Amino acid sequence: MAEILEEKYITPLAKWARLLEIFIPGYMFGKAWGIANETTVDLYRAIFPPFLINMAEYMKHNLLVTDNAALQRLLATCSGALVGFAVIFALGVFMHLVLRDRKYIDSVRFTAITLIPLAVMNGTLSHLTNTILESLGGGETIEALTKSAVDGPSGQIKMFCIFYMLAIWFFGKRAGVLGRKRYYVLLVGIGFLAVYFACGLGITPIEAADVLPKMMAAHGKP
Amino acid sequence: MMIVKDSFVRINKWALFSAIFLYLIGLFTPVKYLQPGLLFVFFAGFFNLLHKDYFAAKPKIGAHLWLLPILVTLLTSQSPLTMGEGSPLMFVLSFLTCLIPFLILISSISEEKPPRKPRLKAVSIRTVVQCSVFVIWASVTSYCFIKGTRPDMLFWAMFHVTTVALFPVFFGRVLCGWLCPNATLQDALYKNMTFKRPIENLPKAIDAQSSTACMNISGKADARAPLFPATLLLSWFPMFFAETVWDLTGVAWYPIAFMYGLFLLSLLFKWRKMCTHFCWLSSYRGINCHNSMWHIRYNRSKCKQCKVCQAEKACPFYIDIRNQDNEMPATCCLCFSCMEACPFEGVITYKRAPEEKARLKAESKGQPMAEHKPESACEPQAS
Repeated sequence: MAEILEEKYITPLAKWARLLEIFIPGYMFGKAWGIANETTVDLYRAIFPPFLINMAEYMKHNLLVTDNAALQRLLATCSGALVGFAVIFALGVFMHLVLRDRKYIDSVRFTAITLIPLAVMNGTLSHLTNTILESLGGGETIEALTKSAVDGPSGQIKMFCIFYMLAIWFFGKRAGVLGRKRYYVLLVGIGFLAVYFACGLGITPIEAADVLPKMMAAHGKP
Repeated sequence: MMIVKDSFVRINKWALFSAIFLYLIGLFTPVKYLQPGLLFVFFAGFFNLLHKDYFAAKPKIGAHLWLLPILVTLLTSQSPLTMGEGSPLMFVLSFLTCLIPFLILISSISEEKPPRKPRLKAVSIRTVVQCSVFVIWASVTSYCFIKGTRPDMLFWAMFHVTTVALFPVFFGRVLCGWLCPNATLQDALYKNMTFKRPIENLPKAIDAQSSTACMNISGKADARAPLFPATLLLSWFPMFFAETVWDLTGVAWYPIAFMYGLFLLSLLFKWRKMCTHFCWLSSYRGINCHNSMWHIRYNRSKCKQCKVCQAEKACPFYIDIRNQDNEMPATCCLCFSCMEACPFEGVITYKRAPEEKARLKAESKGQPMAEHKPESACEPQAS
């Protein structure tokens, strides 16, 4: 059983590792929110919480602007990543209410690492938008498209939410979150998922019925 | 013909080099031709090399394994994987690639003695799984390149969903020991290549951090300690950068290029150093290892301190199991090599020994038991 040691355990690159432990999952978690373009932004707003997409879009169009297309794509993901960092630091506050035996920044590191399954989920959902876009060019009916647009993300979201809760539970054990604290940390995670869903994670049939005809029209389909 | 272990390795190694050469020619040149038997050359070659200690003493067993690619080549002589017309030259070369090692090994006798300890069942299963997954990966990739379709995306989707999210929870870092095509290539082929690596030794700071990060500390965690080695996290950057800037999401060759990149970069370092320090796929797969359903247990009270299991001799991840004190090391890829390497019974096991349970119980009550003194005589038990 893991236990927290009193003495400091320093490795040569520990400082960099600690920094990257927040940066890498944060970037993975948020980058999907920034990569929407004019064609897909409505679909992204339907799949992800709209205010997160709007924040990333605001930064992308007002703060991180360049004429170079490749660089603009990088800056677009960076704008999403900045929103991702904000979410991680905010969630870290709630985690820190439980993990008071360590510094705030270590609670944030724990938060960031456990969010990796949700970061993978966000990436997978953004890939699904590409699949939906490709389907628009095919001969599928609007009913079939709506069904696949709703069912695809829904299955992925359920699976990755389970992985997220398992990650909190098991990684908590690994990182010295013991006893009742682990239940509380899990509750914080479940609370975060509830808020994420309440803000608009996942696409409902009503949203799909609203967005898909617009996108089909933009693609020249009746 | 009399053969020793070195010549057994050399025969299989050169057969594999030839197969890799033909495979690459078939895929990346306008030839666009692959004899399915060539994929089973990989299976036979890798399997023989992974069992070199056992088969070098009985080369005829190794020879019989080469019958598999010979048979497949003959059966598929009329239905190779090809874009246009068949290529008689490629067929002949593929056939010779599996026939020559067969003929050499079947006519050989060996004076090598087999190891005293029989092959561990778990390791036998692992080698079959390793070789099979490599063949599946090579088949899917070759189909993708020759036919110009994207079935590989299904392979990678399955691979990532299971290994990113599902496997680490239930089987820890089993991906790195059982499934990764690069691991198979390194274990079977690169380990037996004796050339001087361009980066023979890593800088101390980089080398140390991989084996001292918090994820490696068993049982105890310092809240300030890093949870991952820095270089593993840093190695994500090239992938993010390339994917974003060149918009490679969904591009078919992109995940394949990563695997080929891993294959090539692994040649720069010693055996498996790429995996322990720089593999962007392995970085977070050890985080839940502590809770893996499969465990290895080090029973300190039974250890004779012979150090056979020690890092570099047996463990691909350079873990000194003797420092783990009864806990599952988080970087362990569950290859069970240490268990097989240990010449004694009951030192490294799947379950904790009763003596160890008693020792840990006493220690948890704050009554440390008398320190175990290793026996001076380290004669392994013949089994």
